[in-house]
Amino acid sequence: MTGRRGPRDSGNADLDLFDSGGPAPKRRVASSPPPPPPDEDFDPSSYPGETAQTAVTVSILTQTARDVIEGAFIPLWVRGEVSDFKSHRNGHWYFSLRDRTAQIKCVVWNRDQRMIPAPPDDGMQVAAFGRLTVYPARGEIQFAATKLEAEGDGLRRKALEVTRARLEKDGLLSLDRKRPLPRFPRVIAVITSPDGAALHDIVAVVRRRGCDVRLVIVPAAVQGESAPGELRAALDRVERWGGADLVIIARGGGAREDLWAFNNERVARALAACSVPTISAVGHEVDISICDLVADYRAPTPSAAAEAATRSASELRNELRKLSMRMSGATRAFVRATDNRLRHLARDVADSSADQIARRQTRLRAIAGRLHALSPLATLSRGYAVARDTTGATLSSTAAFREEMLFDLIVRDGVVPAQVRRPSEPTDTP
Amino acid sequence: MTFEQRLTRLEKIAAELESDDVELARALALFEEGIENLRGAAEELAKADARVQRLVERANGTFDTVEPRE
Repeated sequence: MTGRRGPRDSGNADLDLFDSGGPAPKRRVASSPPPPPPDEDFDPSSYPGETAQTAVTVSILTQTARDVIEGAFIPLWVRGEVSDFKSHRNGHWYFSLRDRTAQIKCVVWNRDQRMIPAPPDDGMQVAAFGRLTVYPARGEIQFAATKLEAEGDGLRRKALEVTRARLEKDGLLSLDRKRPLPRFPRVIAVITSPDGAALHDIVAVVRRRGCDVRLVIVPAAVQGESAPGELRAALDRVERWGGADLVIIARGGGAREDLWAFNNERVARALAACSVPTISAVGHEVDISICDLVADYRAPTPSAAAEAATRSASELRNELRKLSMRMSGATRAFVRATDNRLRHLARDVADSSADQIARRQTRLRAIAGRLHALSPLATLSRGYAVARDTTGATLSSTAAFREEMLFDLIVRDGVVPAQVRRPSEPTDTP
Repeated sequence: MTFEQRLTRLEKIAAELESDDVELARALALFEEGIENLRGAAEELAKADARVQRLVERANGTFDTVEPRE
């Protein structure tokens, strides 16, 4: 690299040590010590500070030192151990980086902290990216860092722990908060990148399964600096729209830092505040994000999210088949029980010939076999006789029949007037 | 009735039919209603269709869902 930096714009030309006529000396960016480059028109005999009379001020000295140092070093990574970390009231972070034999003061300005997951702890081995400068007020060399990475991804781990603890404290990770997913969502809002793999996978699953559902894409960047803001905005839009009955927030697999937006506390809080149930599907199976912990359901992948959210047509057909079988089974059992009752009753009922009863029973059995193919009302009414008292109330228990009582036996084609010969005992059959 | 409502109703009907103390007239009515719901649900299922749309917020703060540009 041979890039050059101009002298720092101090806003005060008087402070420039070299402003004694002629252009400022050109400086070379180098890893070797910056040589004082004598230009042709540089007159050493008249440089400030040459004599006590031309002594420069401390300010000029430190400003100049800053200019020289800043011009000499391009931004670079430095590694060392963090010590004396302080987060100042003014929002800036101060600490030292050191190794066995040396140390340097470091600062991370407030505005540069946004891309750093968490403040470092004392004792952490970190690599800091930044540029070397001089802090004139103290005359100290200072390293102004804009990126920090800790050994073993320590800062991200720390940030995760901190965020997790804060959400936990507010009860947002509690299992009691988890809402069941709607059985049949009609409209699913899908918050993801409109051209990402996640959306593609979700749409493919829903189409393959023949689900009766509307997927409404709510586009948001899912990685990069703008991702947390866009994800929150998308959640907010879904909320104000109010048209979805389930929300899927998804992103396909990627590098760990690409999934970072889903560990953002404010994104997690927005997700937790969703008024409809939520599914989070971020990255691959092994990646667990804060959003995963907050969502009502965590799907290992976007495809799995789609599968959890919807039910396939074949699954539903199966369910209908099962219900149909349950109904016909129950009705068949009912017919059997009634048939039994009928037989017992027949012995005690006047005006019903044994022949008639037998015919009716035969029919009842035939009907029972055909139950699920036929409409039950028609079927049963062909074989059943319903007993009613003279007011029209159904007589469904032996207790309802009194000695000598008159009642009506209603069969398919009419009413048979009947009378109880003697009271009967209930049978074991239910 | 939606598919979900029909399914829920069918589950209730099956459970009631399976209970011990259902009356004859009630059983018949339930069975008939069940058949009707089965038929309706199967029809709904045959019409099933997945749609993909995109949420659009208008300048005035209202929302629209539109077909995405493929």
